[in-house]
Amino acid sequence: MVSIGLFTQTLVNGLLLAGIYMAVGVGFSLVFGVLEIIDFAVGQYVMVGAFAGAALAPLLGGEALFAVPFVFAAFFVVGILVQPFIHHVTTGDRPMPLLMGLVFTFGLARFIRGSVLTIAGPNTRDVPTNIAVGSFEIPSIGTFPTVRVATALFGIFALAAFLYYLYRTDGGTAIRSVAEDRDISRLMGVNINRYQSLSYGAYAAVTASAGVFIGMVYSANVGMGMQYTGFAFFMIVLAGMGYLPGILLSGLVLGIVQSLTAVYLGSEYVFFILFGLIWVLLLVRPTGILGKGEVA
Amino acid sequence: MSSDNTKSKTDTIQTNQPTSRTTFGRRNLLKTGSILGLASLAGCAGGGGSGSDRDTFRFGIVTSLSGPLRYGGQVTKRGYDIWKNRINEDGGIEVNGNRYEVEFTYADAQSDPSTGADATQQMIDNEDVDAMLGPYSSQVPLSMGPILDQNQMPCITGSSESPQLWRNQHEYLFGTIPSVNVFVSEVTEMFLSFDPSAESAYITGVNGPFSKSAAQGMREGAEAAGAEVLGYELYPVDADRSSIISEAQAAEPDVHLNSGNIDSNATFMSSAQELSYEPNGFFQHYGINTPGFKNAGDAAAYTFGATLWLPQAGRSGGRLWGDSQTYADQFQAEYDKLPEYTEAASSATGVVYQEALAELGAEPPLTGDEQTELIGILEDITVDTFWGTIDYESDGENYHNNITTDPLAIQLNEDLDPEIVAPAEEAETDPTYPIPSWSDR
Repeated sequence: MVSIGLFTQTLVNGLLLAGIYMAVGVGFSLVFGVLEIIDFAVGQYVMVGAFAGAALAPLLGGEALFAVPFVFAAFFVVGILVQPFIHHVTTGDRPMPLLMGLVFTFGLARFIRGSVLTIAGPNTRDVPTNIAVGSFEIPSIGTFPTVRVATALFGIFALAAFLYYLYRTDGGTAIRSVAEDRDISRLMGVNINRYQSLSYGAYAAVTASAGVFIGMVYSANVGMGMQYTGFAFFMIVLAGMGYLPGILLSGLVLGIVQSLTAVYLGSEYVFFILFGLIWVLLLVRPTGILGKGEVA
Repeated sequence: MSSDNTKSKTDTIQTNQPTSRTTFGRRNLLKTGSILGLASLAGCAGGGGSGSDRDTFRFGIVTSLSGPLRYGGQVTKRGYDIWKNRINEDGGIEVNGNRYEVEFTYADAQSDPSTGADATQQMIDNEDVDAMLGPYSSQVPLSMGPILDQNQMPCITGSSESPQLWRNQHEYLFGTIPSVNVFVSEVTEMFLSFDPSAESAYITGVNGPFSKSAAQGMREGAEAAGAEVLGYELYPVDADRSSIISEAQAAEPDVHLNSGNIDSNATFMSSAQELSYEPNGFFQHYGINTPGFKNAGDAAAYTFGATLWLPQAGRSGGRLWGDSQTYADQFQAEYDKLPEYTEAASSATGVVYQEALAELGAEPPLTGDEQTELIGILEDITVDTFWGTIDYESDGENYHNNITTDPLAIQLNEDLDPEIVAPAEEAETDPTYPIPSWSDR
């Protein structure tokens, strides 16, 4: 017999997980659309963001939430600096630019992981917060852990901000035009390099900031990045490759399916179900669940 | 010039004994080749017996100095190293009234069983070791066991807890730490007998060889204590804990028992706090007295755990360190930290070798026969140490595992310091049970 209380709490858990995944997936989807690269380093930006939160929190009164603006600004600059290298290896007369970008970002991921391992060591670090602690309860629905709610709100806010910028500003229009067709955008006077740098900077900033929140939920660990890379891949395939609004739906599906599977089938079946879902989707609807993504 | 000289010498030999010299040379060559071949075969069969002349006991150590298990690898290394330093300060291992210092040769298993197996073979073939000390974790020694048997090389591991190691019945492999299922089962029974005794339990664990064995030990202990097991779930190490905890919360058990590595146990407690999951007590079998677990902060307080040794355990006897506190003080002075039970077990393993080699009465380097004789001594010997009594089983499913050392139930107090709460004869204080609710901390 299914307990209603357990069912609603499972949905709550899934919704909050969805917010965490949205925070990771939104930037990843943007750079796929604009730079046409699959950034294998996405999970490592999460990891290094979490470590940055752990390192900065003691300097900010033991509160990692205060580290978020600093991490955002720092990684925006990092992204701006890294993007020209990606541009260099994916343009010109190089064959298979998608593969070149994948290989470059794979190397970048290994470099980030190795650097953090060397500097911070293999031990797990606490990412402390004194503000986002405890939980609140909504009767008949469930318990809402504050730190997870904060993370989910960050994910939703990041997605909303990206969507607003993309669909309500001139800069956003330029970015969308780059995503649509680089050559025509260039002919129309759009500075491609500038908007690609901005996009990668925003992606690195949001993803690393998401890492601070994820670190507050779980802790910072050198090995944590790989699973978020996997989840990000899942999200952009489900959302439709390069289709940013689809991240909302794919995040919800990822979070809720994960929670329901863990409770009603068993945690060991979660990845089997999730990636089974992806395989089926790629076979029957390669443009994503909403049918608006690119076909690779 | 040189070729002329050579020619001249050869000519001279041929002139003096032309026919017999040629014949003798061939026979000599055959003899020499045969002797060398037999010697190398004997060397292979003997597993390390060598003709080298040295007055030190040489131990080979294969442990993970890099990779995901390197934290544990360093734990074993610290434990072994402090024994070596201490015994050498003491003049060395005493055999027949003479003292022989100890030297170590390390090889990095890189947290990988196949690399550990290769390193073991190379250690035996190239390093001329008398005996070996084993690695942290259980996967690497599982791959080392057949190689040790094949080469008749004694090895004691001071930091492996999987029961699978002993079920494989390796003749040359011993283990100082009791199988995790054995000691966790005993501590689970202690935990469930606190007043008011738990009538139901929920058991979860990371789905890995070590944690799974611990979870099975928890289930055996719960059933032995007469508690109803409301749920038993193994989950992947990366799984989000919220669903697992919500499911357990819905079952409303008296106590929750969880097995995993240090980080996953800390995450589990943080998630339990976030979701206001409040059974009468939480039991984590491993690592509650480590900085990694204490990362969980308030959520870690009042957690129960199992251990085999603490500095305040009051164990005494044996060579080098008279009691557990003396060992802890020396360890603190050398490494600026308190020792974990695995570090202490690694050091105690050295003390066992010390006693066994004294009983063997053979000077270094050991021959193959002496190494085999050492196995018989290790099977029969009982050694009192600062870590507790060590006595390896000589048959059964715990073959060559020491299951004599008594486990302890511990609890972190509100300052996150561990206190022994059971068994009664070794308890420092009464358990805080049921534990305070999250809002009262």
